[in-house]
Amino acid sequence: MAGKRKRVQEQAEVPMSSMIDVVFLLLIYFIVTQKDEVSEAHLAVNLPTPNVAQKQQEDPPRPIEITVLADKVQLQGRTMTTDRIVEMLEPRVKDSPEELTVMIKTSTKAHTSNLVEVLDLCRSIGLTQLNVVTLDD
Amino acid sequence: MKRRNQEEMQTPIASLIDVVFLLIIFFVVTASVEKDIIDESIMLAQAKHVPPVEQKDPRTITINIEVDGSANIALQPMSPKALQNILTATREKGGNSVPILLRSDGRTIYRDVSKVMDVVGKSGLYRVSLAAEAEGK
Repeated sequence: MAGKRKRVQEQAEVPMSSMIDVVFLLLIYFIVTQKDEVSEAHLAVNLPTPNVAQKQQEDPPRPIEITVLADKVQLQGRTMTTDRIVEMLEPRVKDSPEELTVMIKTSTKAHTSNLVEVLDLCRSIGLTQLNVVTLDD
Repeated sequence: MKRRNQEEMQTPIASLIDVVFLLIIFFVVTASVEKDIIDESIMLAQAKHVPPVEQKDPRTITINIEVDGSANIALQPMSPKALQNILTATREKGGNSVPILLRSDGRTIYRDVSKVMDVVGKSGLYRVSLAAEAEGK
């Protein structure tokens, strides 16, 4: 009588341990493969279009010109820090930032991070028309 | 006496399984959202001001540009010629408003990025963005 009772209890316990094994395996798999949500910013740029004649008509007479070199940044040909550029541009863009066009000439020797930094600061003061052209040097 | 011992050992397992299943369901639900193949080897440049993108256009074609200048789409290496073919086919099928996202490593020399930009420009697609890592969440 005592033997029979013990057998029933054992049968009820058996599937649990293997199920826990599987469940833990799944849990560890999902924890390991779960990655941080990458928060990306997308900086829209305008590329030079092949039909130049049409483009020149659209552009306002004097675009803001920023030159990105490997080790420095220039505004209208004068070397200055990025903070200074923001100071210089802010009063100009205050009224209608959407209408102003920025020409960003980038040296082929510059790094992408240099360009992204300039694009980022242009966007921070509200400039959205960012034309990126390559500087032949 | 023997029976009491067995009961005491069994008790915590049921609540443990509850918690573990809850975690698994959470991970299954949150994991299936991310479908993009992300090139993990790329370290994007930092953008301090631009807010992270909440939702991107599902048609977006992402071109990854590695530190050495090689381009790939969804980890498939792309020669300039292959890239040109894909982009031209995209324009013919989806029109020229299909967004292009360039995920360039911050340390990539701009020359390599401009080569890809030239190919994109030639294909006639005009909505081009540079990806950057947004600060904070």
